[in-house]
Amino acid sequence: MRTSGSDRLTTETTTARGRGRLVRRKLLGSFLTLVFVLVFNFFLFRVVQTDPIGSLFRGRNVPQETIDDLRTAFGLDEPLITQFVYYVRETAQLNFGVSYQSRQPVWEGITTAVPATVALVGVAAILSAVIGTIGGIVAAWRRNTWRDHAITSGTMVFYAMPDFWLGMILLVGFAVVLGWFPVAGIVDAGSTASGLARFADQAHHMFLPALTLTLAYLGEYTLITRSSLLDVMGEDYLVVARAKGLRDTVVRNRHAVPNALLPVVTLAAINFGFVLSGAIAVEAVFSWPGLGKATADAIRGPDLPMLQGLFLVFSASVIVFNLLADLAYAWLDPRVEP
Amino acid sequence: MRRLTTAVGLATLVSLLFVPHVTAQDDELVTLRIGLTQDWETLNPTVGFAVSEYEIWNLHYATLTDKAADDFATIPGLAESWEESNGGLTYTYTLRQGLEWSDGEPITAEDVAWNVNTAREQEWDNMISAVANIEATVVDERTVELTSSVPDPKLPTMDVYLVPRHIWEPIATDYDATTQYEALDGVGSGPFVVSDFAKGQSVTMVANPKYWGWGGDTPAIDQVIFQLFENPDAMVAALLQGQLDAIHGFPPGSAEALEADPDIEVVAGQQGGFDEIAINGGAVDGQPHPALLDVAVRRAISHAVDKAAVIEDLWFGLATPLEAVSPGADTKWIPDIPEDGQFGYDPELAKQILDGAGYLDTDGDGVREMPDGSNPIVLRHAVNTDGDQAAAIGDLFKGWMEAIGIGVELESYDQDALYGVIVEGTYDTFFWGWTPFVDPDPMLSYFTEAELANYNDANWFDPEYDRLYLEQKQELDPERRLEIVHQMLTILHDAAVYIPLYLGPDLQAYRTDTFEGWVRQPAEIGPVMFSNSSPSYALLRPIGAEGDGGGGPNWALIGVAAAVVVLGGAILLGRRRTGADERE
Repeated sequence: MRTSGSDRLTTETTTARGRGRLVRRKLLGSFLTLVFVLVFNFFLFRVVQTDPIGSLFRGRNVPQETIDDLRTAFGLDEPLITQFVYYVRETAQLNFGVSYQSRQPVWEGITTAVPATVALVGVAAILSAVIGTIGGIVAAWRRNTWRDHAITSGTMVFYAMPDFWLGMILLVGFAVVLGWFPVAGIVDAGSTASGLARFADQAHHMFLPALTLTLAYLGEYTLITRSSLLDVMGEDYLVVARAKGLRDTVVRNRHAVPNALLPVVTLAAINFGFVLSGAIAVEAVFSWPGLGKATADAIRGPDLPMLQGLFLVFSASVIVFNLLADLAYAWLDPRVEP
Repeated sequence: MRRLTTAVGLATLVSLLFVPHVTAQDDELVTLRIGLTQDWETLNPTVGFAVSEYEIWNLHYATLTDKAADDFATIPGLAESWEESNGGLTYTYTLRQGLEWSDGEPITAEDVAWNVNTAREQEWDNMISAVANIEATVVDERTVELTSSVPDPKLPTMDVYLVPRHIWEPIATDYDATTQYEALDGVGSGPFVVSDFAKGQSVTMVANPKYWGWGGDTPAIDQVIFQLFENPDAMVAALLQGQLDAIHGFPPGSAEALEADPDIEVVAGQQGGFDEIAINGGAVDGQPHPALLDVAVRRAISHAVDKAAVIEDLWFGLATPLEAVSPGADTKWIPDIPEDGQFGYDPELAKQILDGAGYLDTDGDGVREMPDGSNPIVLRHAVNTDGDQAAAIGDLFKGWMEAIGIGVELESYDQDALYGVIVEGTYDTFFWGWTPFVDPDPMLSYFTEAELANYNDANWFDPEYDRLYLEQKQELDPERRLEIVHQMLTILHDAAVYIPLYLGPDLQAYRTDTFEGWVRQPAEIGPVMFSNSSPSYALLRPIGAEGDGGGGPNWALIGVAAAVVVLGGAILLGRRRTGADERE
C-alpha cells in the first residue's frame, strides 16, 4: 500500500498520454543537454593554446614540412569556426575521426577498451549496490546494535580510503605476497585459452580490482539506504503491518524497504552512468586495459579526436542513465508530477 | 527452494573465481617474457615513435645494414656487402643468397628499392630523414643501387625498416592509406614476427625460421611475449616472483630490491640519453633576465649545480655525470673537456665569478642585482609537470641558486604548454632531456640558427658552430667528422647555455636463472634490450628447464572457496522458509 496524492495528479501520471508527455519532455531535455556537451567539449580542449601535432613530434627527426602537412591534413590550421562546423558535421554522422597517436579510427579505439571497463566497473557497481543496500537495510533495521555499528563503520572505513591505495594494498597482499592472484592484466599474457578457461582466467584477473572498487563504493549505498529506511520505519503503515501479525523480516522486506529504495534507485542509476568513465586510478594499479587508460593516454597528447570521442561517450552515458533514473523515479513514485 | 538455488548459484559463481585457470599454453614452447611500462599506439613502422614500438620493429623487420652490438658500427644485414662509387654518392648493395620473408616470398632488390623510393615520395615520418635525398635503382634481383643527391656521411648505413612490398604495395597508395594501415599482417624478415597484438596488454612474437641471422641453427626461443604494466611496482614484483624473465623501465627506487636478489641482474644502460638544465640564450623574441645574456653569469650558474647530489638522491646512483652535451647514442661523440675548462660543483667559485663580474647584492636582501644596482636577479624556472624528476630538480635548483644569491621562481607547465613557452622565450631556465639518435646530426642541428623557434630550445646560436655544422653534415671521413663535432660541442659547452646534468640510464633487470646470452649495446655500458638494434634476442638461450610462472598454491584457494561456500550455505539455508500465512 502506498500513500497516494491527489486524484488529479494520479490521473495525470497514470494515463498513457500523461506518461507519454513526461517521457517526451525528458527525452528532449536530455538531447539538449547532449548537444550542449558536444559544443562545450569542442571548445574546452581548444581553450588551452595547444599544438598537439607539434608535441607529437618533439624530439623526433621529422622535417618541418611533414609536420605542417600533417597539421593541414588534420585541419588544425583552419580557423576555429571551420573546425567546429566540421566537428559537428562529422559527429552527427557518428564519425569521430582518427586518433593522432595511433592513426586508427577513434571509434575503434574506444570500443576496444569499453568491454574491459564495463566488465570491471559494471560488476563492482552492481555488487556494491546490492551488498551496500543489504548492509544499509540490516544496519537500519537493527539500529544501534553491534550489527549497525559494524556495518556502518566498516563501510565508512573503506569509503574513506583512496581507491587506488586500497587497490595497492590488496595487490601487494594477495597478489605479491600470497601470490593467489595475478599482478597485472586481464588475462595471462600470450595465453591462447578460449571459452570457459579464458573466462575463468579473466575472472581470476578481475577479482582484486573488482573487490577494490566494490569496497570503495559500498559506503554510499549503505548510508543512503540506512537513512532512507530509518525515515520509513517511523511510518504508521508499518505499525499496522506488525499489528496484523506479520513476521519482522516480512514487514521489513515487503513493506518498509520498497518505499525506502527510491533514493537508492536514483543513486544506483547515476552511478551506472559513471561506469564508462571507469576508474582510472584502479585500472592503472592493476594494469587493467580499459577506458581509464585510454583517457590518460589521450590527455598526454593531447589527442584531440580521441578526447572528444571519449568525453562524448562518457557524457552520453551519464545523460542516458540520468534520464533512466528520472523516468524510473517517476514510474516508481506516483507522487512525482509529470 | 528459491533460497537453495540462490545459495548454490552464489557458491558456484564464487568458486569459479578461484578455479585454477587452465591456460592452453603449450609447455613445450620456450617463451621469453618481458615486462615494460610503455604501451604501443601502433605497430606501423612508418609512423609510430614509442620506444616500445621500436623494439617490436627491431625484431620483426630486418634492415639492409645492421649495427654492431659493441659500437653501432655498420655491419651487413640483409645486404652482405656493398661498394662505394661516384665519390661516395652512390652505394651498390648485394643482398644475401636465398633471403625470404616469413611467409616464404623472396626478399629481392625490388623490395629495397620500393621501400626507399615510396618512403621518400610519400614522406613516411620515420624514414624521411634517412631517404629524403636518396634514389634507389634495381640493378638485378640481388643488387640495388642507392644514390644520394648530396654527400651523406650516414651512408652506407641504411637501417630503415623494410616492409614486405608484396603486402604493402596494394595498401600504401598514399600517405594516409599507409599511415592508417595497422600492419598486423605478421610478415617480416627479422628473428621474430608479431603473432598477436592486444593493445594496452601485450604483444606476442613467434620465431621466424626464415631470418638470415640464425645461421642454419633452429631458433632457441619459440616465443617472445611483451607484457604491459601500468603499475611499475607490479612489474618488479612479477620479475622477483619469476613470472617475467626481464623488465624494462623500473623506477629507480626499486633498484635496491632487485639488486638484493641473487638471481637478478640489474642494468643501468646508457644510450647517450641525457637530462639538462637549459638557459634562455635570448635569440628569440622573449628575452631572459638580462644577467643571463652574460656568459660569466651562465658559467657561474653551472658551477653552482650539484650533479652528484641529483644522481644520488633522484637516481639512487644509477646515472652518470655529464659535462658536455651527448648528441648520439655512442658516447664517443661527447668531447673531453679539459679539467680546467669544466664547470665542476663549486658554489664559492660561482660566487667569486659573480662578484668579479659586478653582480652584487647591494641592498642586502640576499638577491644579487645587475652591476648598476637595478633588476634583482630572479630567474623564472619552468617545471615540466609531465616529467618525473622535474619537480624535484626545480626545488633543488632553487636551493642551489639561492645559495649563491640568485632568486628563483618556479612556474609549472605541462609538456605541451612548456614547448610553447620555450618557443616564445618567456622563461629563464627549465629542466628537460633528450634521447639522441645513433647519428648525431639531428641533435647537433637543434643548436643552429635555423632551428630557432622550433627545436632549438637553448634559444642560442653561434655562427662558428653553424659553419662547423654544415661541414660535418657532408664530411665523409669519420675521424675528421668526429673532430668537427667535438669542436662544435666544445663551443656549445663554453657558452654554458645548456647545463648537462647526467646521462640518464635505461633501468632494466633480467633473471639470470632462465635465459643467458644478454648483450649490451653499446658494449659495457649499454642496455640489454630496447637498444638501437636489439641484438640480444637472437642470441639468447634458455638455461636448463624453464622456470615455472609464479602461481598461488591452489589448495589455499580451494580452501577459501570451500569456506565461503559452506558459510554462504549455512547462512542462507539457516533461514526459515516463508509460510503461507506470512505471505500477503
